[in-house]
Amino acid sequence: MSPVAVTQAPPSPAPPPAGPAATRRRGRPARPKTDGVAGYVFLSPWLLGFAAITAIPMLMSLYLSFTNYDVLSDWSATEWVGLDNYRQMMTEDPSFWHAVRVTITFALVATPLKLAAALGVALLLNRSFRAGGLFRGLFYLPSLLGGSVAVAIVWVSMFNQDGAFNSFLGWFGITGKAWVNDPDYALGTLILLAVWQFGAPMVIFLAGLKQVPAELYEAASVDGAGPVRQFFNVTLPILSPVIFFNLVLETINGFQGFTSAFVLSGGTGGPVDSTLMYTLHLYNKGFTEYQMGYASAMAWVFLLSIGLVTALIFRTGKFWVHYSDGED
Amino acid sequence: MTATHPPRRRFLRTLVAGMLALPLVLGACGGDDSGDDGKTELSFFWWGGEARAELTEKALALYTAKHPDVTFKKTWQANQGYFDKLATLTAGDDAPDIFQIDDNFLAEYATRNVTLDLTSYQTAGTLDTSKFPEGLWKYGVVDGKLAGVAFGENTQGLVFNKSKLDAAKQPLPETGMSWEDFIAWAGKAGAATKLAGTMDPSADYKAFWVWLRQQGKEMYNGNELGFTQADVQAWFELWKGARDAKATPTADVIHEGNATDITKQLVVTNKALTSWVWANQMPELQKNTQDELGLVAYPGDASKQWPRASMYFSVFRGSEHKDIAVDVINFLANDPEAGKLLGTDRGLPSNTEIRAAVAASTDNASMKQTIATIDELSKNYGPSPSVPPRGHSTVRSELIKAAEEAQYGRATPAKAAEQFFAASQAAVSR
Repeated sequence: MSPVAVTQAPPSPAPPPAGPAATRRRGRPARPKTDGVAGYVFLSPWLLGFAAITAIPMLMSLYLSFTNYDVLSDWSATEWVGLDNYRQMMTEDPSFWHAVRVTITFALVATPLKLAAALGVALLLNRSFRAGGLFRGLFYLPSLLGGSVAVAIVWVSMFNQDGAFNSFLGWFGITGKAWVNDPDYALGTLILLAVWQFGAPMVIFLAGLKQVPAELYEAASVDGAGPVRQFFNVTLPILSPVIFFNLVLETINGFQGFTSAFVLSGGTGGPVDSTLMYTLHLYNKGFTEYQMGYASAMAWVFLLSIGLVTALIFRTGKFWVHYSDGED
Repeated sequence: MTATHPPRRRFLRTLVAGMLALPLVLGACGGDDSGDDGKTELSFFWWGGEARAELTEKALALYTAKHPDVTFKKTWQANQGYFDKLATLTAGDDAPDIFQIDDNFLAEYATRNVTLDLTSYQTAGTLDTSKFPEGLWKYGVVDGKLAGVAFGENTQGLVFNKSKLDAAKQPLPETGMSWEDFIAWAGKAGAATKLAGTMDPSADYKAFWVWLRQQGKEMYNGNELGFTQADVQAWFELWKGARDAKATPTADVIHEGNATDITKQLVVTNKALTSWVWANQMPELQKNTQDELGLVAYPGDASKQWPRASMYFSVFRGSEHKDIAVDVINFLANDPEAGKLLGTDRGLPSNTEIRAAVAASTDNASMKQTIATIDELSKNYGPSPSVPPRGHSTVRSELIKAAEEAQYGRATPAKAAEQFFAASQAAVSR
């Protein structure tokens, strides 16, 4: 693994002679350390950014999660409440558990569907035909528009009472309803929106498919395997590391869904909380109810949960991810 | 010789790296150059559209023309996200000197000591509210402190589609109808026009509030709820009756109307004959439909409505230019020229003299009707309720949630009432 070596200290140009350096002059650190300083100074733009934008705010939020911080009040009014926010979340906030249910439903349904769609389209695009690049681009397009507010707005109007989807149903004599306004279907439209944005995993699948050695298919067909058999016994196993990678990424993505739910419900999670995603509930707690301490606690529970789920997926990976040993 | 080189090279390297990083550090600071030259820059933050921005900028320019030492750093944006930004600025102790706020948030800010108590300015006369209706400026008092200067008077208004009703030869709704009569009217008018007679307002806190007051209750008594679970249940049952009688649209359409967005109100999307709005939204609603609209008070005893401040201007307690900030607000509220510039964009001018001048000069028909309706109603107003307490925005969203449960038939009125009552009690006692 050569990239790792790069981050290690470069070999010092002239190893310090043991004698003089050892008789250390007052206040001067030993030479290798000064070299390190220059390295850190060069790194400083990134380090500063990391500290200011990621590390410090995260630690702050961890601290805030043990307080009753409410955004508007003076700092002096902020009190340490220990685990109270966490206790409240688990025992006193019915919306919390509701949001957990909605989010899990969303992730559990959307992720597999999205991956299936991505893999299916990738398989279709994996043959060489004219304008293949064009189709790849077109299928990838939705995920570029991905989390944008504009797409969510279009989506809402498409699945409204007089939206495009109902006109489409009308051709078959079916009278649709205002899907986005129905608590039984609103989450479904969000899932559909997520699935539609399958471009990113599709491109990765496509790259993976190109790596499958052709001789394996040849060998399989010589042994009498049809296309279905080949898919299950050659393509899937070889592709399993890529599937694994996509599964991890998309699961995390799924849990973090926010924009579309926010736009569809105008920030409320409605109709009747049917689209109250975890992140949306968190946002409302922090920014409309000003319970930022509580919201911070929610964020940490969220982080730990996603970590746990990811770890779980990694665990199961042992049983189904196949790494071919011979490279090239 | 060679011994001197490495340290110098290291020094240079450190220097270069430092210079690369420097702009990053400096970028974070800077900008804060308040003048020692006698000039003052006040930050001024509001929500609204282009039209409001133009009017406000003109009015502020007028102030600068009269007080050349005072300039403004103006920031404005759409309502969506406005309060997120205001909260963030406040958290960073960097709130604007003057900011626009409404009654959903006034108590949240005032009880946390973000807003400056303007009482002393009012007593001293540097903030003149003598031309304001009394109920109006009092609607800016939180816990005995004047937390915001009401900027625009407003009240609940029932907007109806006059064209469609006339075409179907139906009587128009009138101020003073009882709720039962109104619902019966909506059923009949709806059947005659093949439209739903009325939007179902059971999720609408302002309709619920007016109704409560007519029952001798209140939405809030200080920091507590002013109603019982039985009241909520009666309210939900009233509208369940209306839905069963087909006086309202179906639940999914009602949900569309529950959005606060003006363009989504059912009266302009032609999905119902009436919508429950704030009276000052009338001109804007009229712009969104071809049909002619009309405006009356909510059903029941109209004297239970009150002069609601459509918004306020507040001064940040940490502002370095408090006196000037108050003077600016006083100017915007009471100067005839500024009043003429600002018009009714934020509601009817609080200063009744300016209001009369503006009403006389406008040629917008729906604006005229709005002013006439509010003026007519304001003659009979009883005492105003107090500003909604902390937790009000949660109560509002809990009401929508519970009412929708009932509208979609997922909960009985009793069950929905129980849920709403418990949730809102928790919200205000926080």
